[in-house]
Amino acid sequence: MSKSKYDVQVNPDLCTGCLRCGLACSELYTGAFNPLLARIHVKVSGATCEILFTEECNACGVCADNCFFEALTKTRKEAQA
Amino acid sequence: MSPGGFAGNTIYVDLSTGVIEKRPLDLGLAEKFQGGLGLCIRLAHEAISPGRGALSPENPIVLGTGPLVGTHLPATSRLYAVTKLPTSGTVGWCGSGGVNFACMLKNAGFDHVVIRGRAERPVYLEIFNDDMKIRDAGHLWGKGVEETDAILWEKYGRPTGILAIGQAGENLVPFSMAFVEGLATLGRGGFGAVMGSKNLKAVVARGERGIRVADKKRYKEVSRAFLKSMREYPYLKEWQDLGLVKSFPLVPVEQYKAMKKRRVACVSCPVGCKDVVEIPDGEYRGLVKGTSSVINLYTPVIYGFKDYRESIRFMALLDDYGLDMFEFFGIMGFTAELTRRGIIPAQDVDPEIRVDSLASMSAWAEKISLRRGLGDLLAGGFPGILEALGPEAEPFAPSLVKGMHPYAGPGSSLPWDLFGTMELGQVLDPRGPHVGAGGSPTYFAKRPLEVFPKHLRRMGVPEGALGRILQKGEAEDEEGILRVGRLLRYSHRWFAILGSLGVCARAAINRFYSVSACAEMAEAVTGFPTDPETLELRADRSWTLLRIMNLRDGFSRNKQETLPDRWFREDGFKDYATGDPLRPETVEKMIEDYYGEWGWDLETGAPTPETIARLSLEEESKK
Repeated sequence: MSKSKYDVQVNPDLCTGCLRCGLACSELYTGAFNPLLARIHVKVSGATCEILFTEECNACGVCADNCFFEALTKTRKEAQA
Repeated sequence: MSPGGFAGNTIYVDLSTGVIEKRPLDLGLAEKFQGGLGLCIRLAHEAISPGRGALSPENPIVLGTGPLVGTHLPATSRLYAVTKLPTSGTVGWCGSGGVNFACMLKNAGFDHVVIRGRAERPVYLEIFNDDMKIRDAGHLWGKGVEETDAILWEKYGRPTGILAIGQAGENLVPFSMAFVEGLATLGRGGFGAVMGSKNLKAVVARGERGIRVADKKRYKEVSRAFLKSMREYPYLKEWQDLGLVKSFPLVPVEQYKAMKKRRVACVSCPVGCKDVVEIPDGEYRGLVKGTSSVINLYTPVIYGFKDYRESIRFMALLDDYGLDMFEFFGIMGFTAELTRRGIIPAQDVDPEIRVDSLASMSAWAEKISLRRGLGDLLAGGFPGILEALGPEAEPFAPSLVKGMHPYAGPGSSLPWDLFGTMELGQVLDPRGPHVGAGGSPTYFAKRPLEVFPKHLRRMGVPEGALGRILQKGEAEDEEGILRVGRLLRYSHRWFAILGSLGVCARAAINRFYSVSACAEMAEAVTGFPTDPETLELRADRSWTLLRIMNLRDGFSRNKQETLPDRWFREDGFKDYATGDPLRPETVEKMIEDYYGEWGWDLETGAPTPETIARLSLEEESKK
C-alpha cells in the first residue's frame, strides 16, 4: 500500500456486506464487476464481519469512495503527517 | 456495441431425468421483455403447461435476475421467480432481495434458471462458473433454513449465494417460502412447497465471471450522477440507521438500538434494510437473528405476545421452518375459532391454541411444518382446511383472497384501513394478496393528492392519465377523487420496470429512481436502444403476458378477483382520499378502471385484440 496517496481505514462494525467496494474495485482493475475478482474481500457472517485486502491492493481508495456506510474511509497520507 | 449487463446464458435442468442444458440467452426475447421479471414471465409462458398442478413435476420454476444485477448501480440485486403457486393456483411472480445470490448467479454465468421435474431423492443445485451440478441433499433434508445455510457455507464459503427451504417446504405446506441466505423471502403463496415438490432443498451459486456494461463512458456518467443524488439525500443516514423502524412505531427505537448488531444490505445497496439483531437479556439472551426487517420480528406482538424477546425467538423458529407468518397466524386464529365452535374437537387441539403464547405457537409451528397430528390438516392452508371441514367452517374463516389471508387491511396483520393501491393490489395481483407490486404514493397514509403528480411522473404515468387518476372535485372546496384502480395499473407497470431491470422496489430505494433514470441505465448497461417509452412498453408486455398465462390456465374475474365481505363492514376499509366507508361497488368499479387503463376487457379482464397487437403479443396469446 506504500505507493498510494491514501490510507484506507476499516471499521467492520459498520459494514453491511453490500460489496459496493468490491464491485467498484473489480471494475476498475479487471473491467468487469464481480466482488470475487476484487482486491478487497468482505465476509459478513451474521453479526461478524471480516474485511481483507489482497497483496495487489495499492490503497487507491476506490473502495472507500463507494462505501455508503463509513465502514471504509480514506485519508490522504500528507494530511496525517 | 455488444449487449452488456446480461450473463448471456439460461440453464435448464430436468430433475426427473438429470439432464442439464445450457442455452445462450435469446437476445431478441431479452430485448423484447427487458430481462429479470419480464423475461422470467416470458420463459414461464413457454415452460408452463396449462392445467398442471402447482406441485406436479410439470410445473417449472423459472428463476432470474435483471441486466443491471451485478453492476454497482444502487440496489440492483433483485431475484425473481415465476411458477404456479399452490395456494392461489395462479401463475405468480415471486420476488426477493437477492442478498448475494442474484449477483453470484450472474457471475456464475446465468441470467435465468429453469427447473423442471422431480428428483428421486433430495437434491440441491450447485451453479458455479458456467456449470451446474445436481448434488445429493440427503444430509440437508429435515433441517431448518439456518442449519442448511450453515452447512452449505461451511462447504462453499461466503459470499456464496444460497436459496433454501425449511421443513415446511419439504412437507409441501402451501404457505411455505424459500429464503435467500436466511435474510430475504421468496414466495408467499407456497414457493417453498414448489421447491419441496421437486425434492429440491437448495440452490447455491457462485462464480468468477464478471458483468460488463455495453457503454462504459455513459455508465460512468449515469451512475456518478445518480449515486451523488443518493449521497446528498438528507434522510439517507436515518434510513440506514433505522430502516423501516423509522416509520413503524411498533418497534421502540431504543429497544431496537439495544439489540441491533448489524444492518445488512443486498449487493450494491446503499441503504441496507435488513437486520441482524441479538437479544440482549432474559431467557433468550445471545440469540442472534437475521431478518429482512426487524419489524417482521415483532409480528407476534401484533397478535398478543407480551415480550418482544419471545416474539423474536418465535420468528427465528418460524423462519427456520420456512413458514409465512401472516398465513400462519391467520390459520391459528381460524383454528382457535373452529375449536370454540366445536367444529374441530377440542381433544385434537393439543396444546391449546393461544396466539399470544410462545410455547403454544412453537408447538403448532412444528406440528404444521412436520405435518404431525392436527398439524397435517392445518398444513393444507385455508383452502385445504375449508375443503376438509366443509361449509360448516366457512363462516368463521377470515377474509380470503385467492385462498390467502390479505395481510393489509381490517382484521389483518397490518390493520390499516385506508384503501390505496397496495390494498387493491391484493385482489388484482395474479399471485394473490401481496402488497409488493402495488406501491405508489399511497404507501404513505393520507398524503395529500397535490403531491401525487410529482411521484406519478417519476413512475412514468403519462400526462394524459394524470387527470384520469386524480379527478378534481366538482365544487371548488370539494375533495378530489383518487381513482385507485387506474393508479394501480401504473404501479404494477412501475414494479415490472424495476423488476425487469433488477432494481429493488422497496420504498427506500424506488424513491430515488425514475423511469427516465431507468431508461438511461438500461441503455448504458445493455446497449439496447431504450427510452422511457420503450421501457414502459416492455413492462406492459410482461405484465399483460402474466395475465394471458393465467387466463390460459382457467383464471376468471368472477372466480378469483372477488372481494372479502369483511372489508366493507362498519370497521372496514375507508376511501383513501375522503375517508368515507368503502363500498363493494366502488371497488368493483376500481377493478374495471384497472382493466380499462390496461386495455383489458372490462368484463373478463382479458387483454383486447388491440392491446395484444400494441404489445406485439400475438404469438404468445395463441399458445
